[in-house]
Formats: sequence, C-alpha cells, structure tokens
Amino acid sequence: MEEPLDSWFKREILSHEAILMSSISRVWPRQHEVADIRQEAYARVYEAACQVRPQAPKAFLLVTAQHLMADRIRRERIVSIRAGGDNEFLNVLVDELSPEQRVGAHQELARLARAFDRLSEKCREVIWLRRVKGMSQREVAERLGLTEKTIEKHLRTGTRRLAHYMRENALTPGVLPKRHEEESDEAGSP
Amino acid sequence: MSTDQTNEIEEIASHWLIRRQSGHWAESDQVRFEQWLDASTLNRVAYLRLELAWEESARLKALAAGIPGDQLPPPGRWNLTPFFDAHRALSQSRATLGTNDLPGTLASDSEPCDPHLESGDAPAPDNVYRAFARRTNRLVLAASVVLAIVAGFAAYKFSGGGGDRYATPVGGLSSVPMRDGSKITLNTNSHVRVALTNTERRVDLNQGEAFFDVAKDSNRPFVVDAGKKRVVAVGTKFSVRRDGDSIEVVVTEGKVRVEDATRPLRHAAVEGFESTIAEGAESAVFLTPGAIAHVDQSGVLVLRKSVSEAETHLSWRAGVLMFRDESLADAVVEFNRYNVRKIVIGDPAVAALRVEGNFRATNADAFVRLLESGFPVRASAEEDRILLRSR
Repeated sequence: MEEPLDSWFKREILSHEAILMSSISRVWPRQHEVADIRQEAYARVYEAACQVRPQAPKAFLLVTAQHLMADRIRRERIVSIRAGGDNEFLNVLVDELSPEQRVGAHQELARLARAFDRLSEKCREVIWLRRVKGMSQREVAERLGLTEKTIEKHLRTGTRRLAHYMRENALTPGVLPKRHEEESDEAGSP
Repeated sequence: MSTDQTNEIEEIASHWLIRRQSGHWAESDQVRFEQWLDASTLNRVAYLRLELAWEESARLKALAAGIPGDQLPPPGRWNLTPFFDAHRALSQSRATLGTNDLPGTLASDSEPCDPHLESGDAPAPDNVYRAFARRTNRLVLAASVVLAIVAGFAAYKFSGGGGDRYATPVGGLSSVPMRDGSKITLNTNSHVRVALTNTERRVDLNQGEAFFDVAKDSNRPFVVDAGKKRVVAVGTKFSVRRDGDSIEVVVTEGKVRVEDATRPLRHAAVEGFESTIAEGAESAVFLTPGAIAHVDQSGVLVLRKSVSEAETHLSWRAGVLMFRDESLADAVVEFNRYNVRKIVIGDPAVAALRVEGNFRATNADAFVRLLESGFPVRASAEEDRILLRSR
C-alpha cells in the first residue's frame, strides 16, 4: 500500500522549507510576502500530489514556487530589482543546492535546539514539560499553576515559532505571532 | 493570498493542532476539524506544517539525556555537535568529552554583557594570569594583573575632537548606551567615535568590530563610517567589523545600506527597493536580515543566510565564539583577536582540522586543553604563544 499522502508530504516537501524560503526571498522584493508564496506553493504541490506524486519532489516544489512568482509578477506588475525584464532570473533557482540539503540528523537536532532556545522562557518551559517530559496538558497546567487555556496558548505560539525558526531563511514578520501575544493571557478557540 | 490570510490560517491551524492533543477532543470537534481541512488546501498544508513542528519538538528528548529531573536547560546549554568533523570516527567516542566537560562552552557563563554590571567579573584574569604565570619576572606579572583589570572594565571613554570616543582592549567587550536610545556593543580591541546631531547620528568605526542596535528615528539616519565605506540605517540591528579598508556587515533586523563614504548622504532612502532602482545600484547595496556582506575596494560580496546563521557571527556579544564546521586555522584567527597570548599553528594537518563548538572567547586555554585531550594535536606552551602541532 502506498504511504499516506500527509506523511509523504511532510517528509518530501515540508522538509525543504529552508531552501524554498531562501529561493523565494532571494528573488522576491517584498519579504513579508514570502510566507504567502510558500504556503501557496505547498497547496499547489499537495493538490498535484493527490493525483500523482512527483518523482523529484524538491525540484517540483521549487519550480512550483517559481511559477507562482512569475504569475504574481505578471498579475501585479511588480518590478523586482532582480527580476529584470523577463523571467531569466527564475531559471537559477532549481540548480542551486543549498548546504542545508546536506545536513545530517545531528545538525537537524542542533537546528531544533537552537530554534527551541529562541522561544520565550514560558514557551520553552511549557513545551519542555509537554513534549520532552511527556506530561499531559493538564499536568503541565497544574505544575505551573496556570490554566489549561494558557498552556494551550503557549503551545500554539511555541509550535508556530518552532516551525518558523527551524526552517528559517528569511524574516517573514507576517507569520510570526507577536511577542505580546505570548505574554497576554487570553486564549481563543477556532 | 495575502499575508493576513496566511497568518490567520496558521493561527487557526495552531488551535486545531493543540486542541487535538489537549485531551478535550470530542467527536463533534473531529467533524468540524475535517470540514475545515477539506475547505481549502491552504488550510491543510498549514496544519501539516505545524503538525510536523509539533512532532519534531519531541525529538528534543534526544538532547534531554543527562539533564537531571524535569529541569529546563537554560538557552545555549545544549552541547550537541561532535566537535570535529574531519575525524568523525574519533569524534564518536570523544563527543561526550566535547559536550559535557567543555569548560569553554556557553554552559554557565553566557550572561549578557553590560560593562557596568560586569566590571567586577573580568573575563580575562584567569586566562591572562595563567598565560604569564610561568614567568618569574615580577614586572611582567604586575603588568598582567593590570591588563586583567583593564579587560574587565567597560570601554574607556575619552572626549574631545568632536564627539565621544570609546575603546576596548584585547579581550574586552562592552555595551555603550547612546542618548538616542540606541546601543553599541564593542567587541575586542575596537575603537569608535560617536557624534549625535539634529540631522544625523554618526559613528566612526576606527578599528575593530561593533554591533549596533539602532533606535528608530527616521529624521536622523544612523551612519557608521568605516574608512572608505559607510553603512546607513534608520532603525535596525547590524554589526560592522573593520579590518583596514575591508569591512564585514551582518544584518539581523531591518535594512541597511552600504555605500561609498564619499557619496553625499541622502535622507530617508532606506524605505524601499524603489530607491535602489532610482539611483542605480552601482555604488549602494541594500542588505536585509540574514545578509553577511564583505566589502572592500574590489566590491561587495553578499552571503544570504538565515537570521539565526547570521547571528552565530554575532555570538561575540555574549563573549562566546561559535564555530560551525570551520577549519581550525580560522578558529585560531578568531581566538587570537581576543587573547594577548596567541595560538600558533605549527603544521598544515592541524590547520585543516574541522571544528564545531561554542567557546568563551577569552578562554583560549580551555580550547587548547580540549584539543589536546581528544585529538591528534600536541600543544606546547611557550612564553608568549601556544604552539599546536600534530601528534
């Protein structure tokens, strides 16, 4: 039986986020839109993979992002300083293998630890107890004397920031939960 | 799709993710969740991306071994890289040595550096003292004590000649608050002159390296003059390292412009890329976060890195040198910037070793001890230097 699409997608597509981000931010003039383009590229790749999974997932992802950017340039008449008059600039993307591609498991772990270190003190504490010490949400709440809602808020912020920091290759302020949200005490639900 | 939308989807995805793991998950939640996933592929991929981060966070367990109880390790306390890459086989067995007993790591001494608070905590005394201890000459010993005291104090400040001047000795590190709210962190053996006027904030970097945390003030650009080039910012964080007429600029936040110091200074030109096009990019270069730029007479070379990678170039602000797969030759050059007693490499095989790890910049002794204890290197301590050779 074929591997479930979701786990294939995580391993073969989402793992290339760092190089995807750097190839987008290298050519895209508006850094705050990099995350939008990234998510759109993911969505397109996911939809394509529902039909047929690409043979070369990484190249497919990068080419998809190129096409998206080319579309946007046409549509919005954006002028990129690196875009020049035509789409020449897009051709360089796929051939560039970033060193991130060659990182071993050990370095992945190092990257994770460094990402973790950048979280706020509370986030670190909550994620540590929940994910490393394996406590339930309720146990973490009791241990820290906080409500479960507050614990959930820290877990949400922490996870979002981890996702961002681990594969970071450009600043994308738009997708970062603001610091003060971590400090505030309200928690909503979907 | 817009940035707000992306952000909102991610926010909702994070709610679903954490709710699902919360222990309060009902059948009806599952139904609504699946509806949400099916509503748009953008929702689904945002969810998968966060779920992956959630799954990966459990891998921190691998690093928790050796940390007692439920204690949360303070940032930087991880010691995770095998120390030497070129000797991977060796490093398998040495890794533990490199990680647990490493006196030079961030472990206990990574306090932020404020000279006013730190003046009693001289980073150098131990080191400098040891460097000279073998000598019997009393004069030299006395000199070393003086040096140690000096290294522990803030930058010296002198005034005159227009503006305030600040300098650090070899091994020194200090923060200088500015009246406009900006902060300058001076690295080892550095010298700046600061002049604030109503129209600009000007820093001459005469020598060495400094990190600038610039308070926003669009009416007064922040200008760092470094010989033939200058770096211009409005509100941002970046460092400039000067070596004669070549400089290195690292940006971690905001945007800065590097240009010839001879150009007339333009105001408020840091806003957008449009201005770059307008004036032609031949002599001015814009740098964004994660940029590491090397600038000299022949031109500007920009490496685009992630912000976190760029920040490893700035670990000196915590008094720490971070090496990520660097040659020992390069590592030694770095150490020697901070220490009076220089490390000298005696043969090419040693120079080519690859190093990873975090070290106290002023504690070259610890670094050398570690090299010797685990790797095919012999260190011989001489009067004014430490010589490294293959064993």
